[in-house]
Amino acid sequence: MSGKVFFKNRYSKLGWAFEETGQRQAIRINRTRVKDNDLPERMKKAGVTLEKIPFLENGYWVKGSTVSAGATAEYLLGLYSIQEAAAQIPATLFSDIKGKVILDACAAPGGKTVQLADLMDNDGAIIALDISKERIAALANHLERCRVSNTVVYRRDARTASDLHLQFDCILLDAPCSGNFASDSDWFRRRTLKDIERNAALQRAILAEVVTCVADDGEIVYSTCSLEPEENEMNMDWAIKHLNLEIEDTECKGEGGITKVFGRDLDASVEKCKRIWPGETQGFFVCKLRRRRRQ
Amino acid sequence: MKLIAEFAKRVNASTFSFSDEFVLEEGGRYFLLNSPLSRYVQKGFFYAGIYLGKFKDGQFFPSFNLLSMLAKSGARSVTVDKKAAWLFVCSRDIFAKSIVTVHGSAKKGDTVLVLNQLGECLGFGRATLSMGSRAEPNQIAVKNLSDIGDFLRRER
Repeated sequence: MSGKVFFKNRYSKLGWAFEETGQRQAIRINRTRVKDNDLPERMKKAGVTLEKIPFLENGYWVKGSTVSAGATAEYLLGLYSIQEAAAQIPATLFSDIKGKVILDACAAPGGKTVQLADLMDNDGAIIALDISKERIAALANHLERCRVSNTVVYRRDARTASDLHLQFDCILLDAPCSGNFASDSDWFRRRTLKDIERNAALQRAILAEVVTCVADDGEIVYSTCSLEPEENEMNMDWAIKHLNLEIEDTECKGEGGITKVFGRDLDASVEKCKRIWPGETQGFFVCKLRRRRRQ
Repeated sequence: MKLIAEFAKRVNASTFSFSDEFVLEEGGRYFLLNSPLSRYVQKGFFYAGIYLGKFKDGQFFPSFNLLSMLAKSGARSVTVDKKAAWLFVCSRDIFAKSIVTVHGSAKKGDTVLVLNQLGECLGFGRATLSMGSRAEPNQIAVKNLSDIGDFLRRER
């Protein structure tokens, strides 16, 4: 069960008419590094024209460039990060994170970690985990480049997060996922339903672990860049039924989560999730969960 | 901590200081933590707080965070024009004609920070002539020892 026709058919059953799409490059200004709103003008002089992304506070499309946006002095000084537009959404969904203790469970290469630190004004603490040796080095470089100062990084499988014996106010779980065709031109050839089911099981295992580390009433933002409901709505349906979590409303770009998946009815609250089909951004899914008080 | 103080002295950062109780060393790499963050640092951490630099092969390599802190503490530095700033980031040396201003005195052989015209630290180098002495415009004045282009080169 794989191939473009198979997946297009699935998307059709989920209510989306498949369309080929590319990916627009986007950046996010690091506000702790750029106090004035002069970066777009400065970037223009450096050869990169920016256009504000309407649904993001600090996000800009790269409208045109005579140089690589990933190789300007401004980039190397950490004034901005290159971060896909939809991927800029999850970190903004926490209610209030200044001064809080946050777990970034699958953090590398660090785009969202840096964004969290920026939103926190480098106050409070972020504990960032990732299992990959190569990716964790990229995460450290990203933190250093953007002058992040409130983060501790551990090379660790998120499924062992409770071994740190810490309790978190908020958890960002940008889960390892199957990705989507908009950001991977070879996606349809490489992916099978079996991969998706395996990733969905891994995501549930990570979620079940990190939920033991969140404080009562604490928030968990779960996200993937997968379009597959097994990794998204179906996992959230499972989470609220098994992990003492509830889904919160989120105000952000995207359609409501799908509550009827291939003939199966999910909990009505799954509609509060947000699903973004590929178009002006890559495909994305995000859900804000709250830990119910322990009895 | 001694290594960091020695480097600060090398660039004559007279007002530079921080409490060494919050400097952590892990595998030859040095990190500066604030008090609240230090509560979350456990054995085997990979990165924490502000990375200050590493000691390797008998030499201390300052981080760009540390260089920026030193620049704000009155370290010896040269400010270079826009074109030279970009070339410096691409590993090139600084010509005498590209230096706009010199902060502090710099003799041949001294370590100097290199700043762009917005005061942002781009790295550091070694003065190959005494600043203020007569020099040919195209004579190399600062030899590049480290620049922020390293962030790209590391990931290759």
